[in-house]
Amino acid sequence: MKATIIECAFGILAFSEENALVEKVLFSKNPQNAAKTITKIESGKIVDEVASLIELLKKKGYNKFVFENASLAKEAEKLGITTEIAKPSRAGELVRSNMERFAVETGFVKNAEEFNVWTHNVTMEIAKLRVKGAVEKRDLIIAQAIQTLDDLDKTINLFMSRVREWYGIHFPELDRLIDKHETYARLILELGNRENFTVEALEKHDMSKSKAGQIAKTAEASMGADLAEADLKQIQTLCKDVLNLYQLRENMEKYLETAMEEVAPNVKAIVGALLGARLIAISGGLTNLARRPASTIQVLGAEKALFRSLKSGARPPKHGIIFQHTYLHEAKKWQRGKIARALAGKLAIAARSDAFGGRYIGDDLKADLEKRLEEIREKYTEPPQIPEKKPQQEKKWRKNKRARKR
Amino acid sequence: MHVNVKPHPQFPAIYQVTLEDGAQRLATRNLTPGRNVYGERLIRCEGVEYRVWDAFRSKLAAAINKNLKTVPIKPNHIVLYLGAASGTTASHISDIVSEKGRVYCVEFASRAIRELVNNVCAYRLNMLPILEDARFPEKYAVFISGKVDDIYCDIAQPEQAKVLADNADLFLKKHGWVMLAVKSQSIDVTKEPSEVYKQETKVLKSRGFDIEEVVHLEPYDKAHAMIVAQFY
Repeated sequence: MKATIIECAFGILAFSEENALVEKVLFSKNPQNAAKTITKIESGKIVDEVASLIELLKKKGYNKFVFENASLAKEAEKLGITTEIAKPSRAGELVRSNMERFAVETGFVKNAEEFNVWTHNVTMEIAKLRVKGAVEKRDLIIAQAIQTLDDLDKTINLFMSRVREWYGIHFPELDRLIDKHETYARLILELGNRENFTVEALEKHDMSKSKAGQIAKTAEASMGADLAEADLKQIQTLCKDVLNLYQLRENMEKYLETAMEEVAPNVKAIVGALLGARLIAISGGLTNLARRPASTIQVLGAEKALFRSLKSGARPPKHGIIFQHTYLHEAKKWQRGKIARALAGKLAIAARSDAFGGRYIGDDLKADLEKRLEEIREKYTEPPQIPEKKPQQEKKWRKNKRARKR
Repeated sequence: MHVNVKPHPQFPAIYQVTLEDGAQRLATRNLTPGRNVYGERLIRCEGVEYRVWDAFRSKLAAAINKNLKTVPIKPNHIVLYLGAASGTTASHISDIVSEKGRVYCVEFASRAIRELVNNVCAYRLNMLPILEDARFPEKYAVFISGKVDDIYCDIAQPEQAKVLADNADLFLKKHGWVMLAVKSQSIDVTKEPSEVYKQETKVLKSRGFDIEEVVHLEPYDKAHAMIVAQFY
């Protein structure tokens, strides 16, 4: 005899070939447990409820079992029974269109109202479980960290341009003499008044002799206004905070290094921790990045240019965020497109290997990539010959494209 | 000037509010008094609380403001909502169908459904969150009991009309209604919006729908349209 097994919001039901309810196992009246059971069944795991239902049916003489869920059917075969898959089955349709009635008939709830409350609670719990499952992955944490890093950079730049402006009232010449924000902030914090900018003091801050001499000389001849102690103190407080932000940034970078080593070692091997993390953040997760084709990875971060090109027939972008890689921004301009393509290709392979449990192949990928880079550099040493009438030609082409669209 | 609430002349459970400054807004009766969903304003009038419906954030409200003639969603209806996100429009639909109706909210981004579960569904017993991909309706068929009266579809997918029709085949009553919010940009950026709308209505027609009307949502949403259709 054949029985169809259908899981629903309040339990697991078995139907005969004539679509009559022959046996049932109801859930306990705890929505959390029911939600856990349902999610387990969906992922194809045999839970106690299903096992005991099959036992009950066996005793009644049933020997063939129909499931709607293919992976569940496969698992159930391990219990030593024969299974079939029907999707959707007639019994399943019957249950779904009369769920309330079945819930009342089986004695699970007293009335439709009670059942509505029940389904509400169960779906809530299932949704919560799912959210938890989706959020538990480490790659989303990495995405947050890299975004924090970008925020830190922005904040530091913002504050430092303010500090340079503010301290510039007192010592305007220093702004041009020291490019690095961190050094600038440290000097102000530790030396304060420009009178303290002596050669000896500056040399203590890893400054070359000539540079220190230059700064000290300008300090003496500065055209800046005098600054009261209290005013200077405020600027120094701000500098201190900025330096703390630099510390924070450094820690974050270290954290990203280790986290990326764990989550995406192959991607890290090719483009480094920071750029790799940024790619994960833009795609919204490692699996999403792994599902993208290399051509998409190549222009991730250049969406604006890409869509402009799709819309108006302008030239498509050669590279998106991967431009940050030294291979690209140090390359010759006419080689960049080719390099970007090669890099994106290897990245796609690396991401897939990371996301879907592959081995560590980062070194091989990197070696291949470098070989290809060498080829490109040799083959395309000269910039391509640009036809002289190019601008005009391009215009014509665009017009044609627009005409074709209509 | 005093705040004034009056029922919408055509649609039950939708209200028109005149604010202090004379501005006209849509509103629905708040199912969970004292609680708002997305920072919208709450208004009390004769002991009843209403939620002001922001047409710039909800495509359904935008469509009504653009003189949509049919709003199939009515009190006591069971609605399947595809692409519920964090529940801006879905909560107003929940207000409209009221306690006796039901809204199944399908959303597949876990980030969005987090808010939906905690801030909206937890307080609204007529809303059921379902974290699934609307492209695979069989996966959540277990949770939907019986057939639904209307399907509201606001998913940014290239094949949204097809997805909607697949869901309708499984869940929609005969002569049930669908509302499809089309975002032309997510179907094909290179095509003119009106071309995209045409293409989507064609898909719906071929899948057994009668197109009732198509409303463009400018200026509330650029390159968006609302298609209302009936299922046969």
